[in-house]
Amino acid sequence: MTEDLDTITAPSADLATDTTPRRTYELEETGFLEVPKKWRKFYRHWQGAGDTLAPNEVICPVCKVVIRSRRELRPGDRVYCMPCMSRLVVVRRPDGTLEADVLY
Amino acid sequence: MDDSTDTWEPHLLDEDEFIREVQSFAFWFEAIEGYLGDRPYGYDEDVAEAELDDGEKDRLVTILCNYCVGETAALEASSGLVRLASNNPSQIFMATQVADEARHVEVFRRRLTALGVDDVDAEIARRSNPELRDFRKRLLSFVDAGQWELAVFAQNVLLETMEDTVFRFHQSVADPITAQILTGVVADERRHLGFGENDLGRRLVRDPQRRRELAEVRAELDPLILGSFEASYRDLGLKPDQYPQLGRSYLEAVERLGIDG
Repeated sequence: MTEDLDTITAPSADLATDTTPRRTYELEETGFLEVPKKWRKFYRHWQGAGDTLAPNEVICPVCKVVIRSRRELRPGDRVYCMPCMSRLVVVRRPDGTLEADVLY
Repeated sequence: MDDSTDTWEPHLLDEDEFIREVQSFAFWFEAIEGYLGDRPYGYDEDVAEAELDDGEKDRLVTILCNYCVGETAALEASSGLVRLASNNPSQIFMATQVADEARHVEVFRRRLTALGVDDVDAEIARRSNPELRDFRKRLLSFVDAGQWELAVFAQNVLLETMEDTVFRFHQSVADPITAQILTGVVADERRHLGFGENDLGRRLVRDPQRRRELAEVRAELDPLILGSFEASYRDLGLKPDQYPQLGRSYLEAVERLGIDG
């Protein structure tokens, strides 16, 4: 069973503050080979100093791979890190950046 | 699932489906085919051997001997854990980890042979770090006692996270063949350390009291594993103030699991 794009956002009132339409992204292959072919475009390697995250990307705190989505990410969104099998939720840090917390 | 639409993505899988997918044999097989399909021994056979002087070769042999001890410990422990797994996806995953660890042992031993080591077992016995050998004994004692949580913590969180840190650093400074071997190993380690943290995390949500037991094991094993990996950094020619942040990823993992107190 799969879910539609709206249901992957956690239904928390304090998280659902931004109702503006989300930007969407066309994902291309990034040379990431560590998952089966059909999933590869949803992940990429962090390139270190000089690399930046796009609004549709967060870093997995467990394995440091960059997780990508077809849409702009917002706090409360659920994402999966397939390379390390982690389930994550997007959060906004006090400095305004988006990060991911592990959901056990 | 319809993955042909332009809105579809893996983050839409429900959680049970996600676990079944990523802990399946098919996922493992397709994943490793991506980065090992043309590297049966972990590296592109067209890559030329670098010129290493005697000192560099000697240090590399010592480092690889220690890697062999860690990987052999994980091979033996993960094979025992197949029997202890509490559900089918975990059992399948652990079987794939056995195959990964067997490959790691094989490619590191082949590399030792290529570097001129005639008797690999004797060289490992002579050069390997005693703290790492003690860690191996303790890890296997958890498996023999049927203690899944303690063994998964020691192997998939502690050992795998520390290996991941050291292998990544070594990969950045190694000769081309060793670096390619390590690149493949690091890709495998991602699955192992992620499985460990997530499996333990779910168990600790259900049974928070287990944290005390895990903290005791951590206090016992931290010095062994930290000491042995510090030795690897010394063998890589680093001074203490040059060590990459050894232990940082591990400390972050135990903090997320709540066993950092």
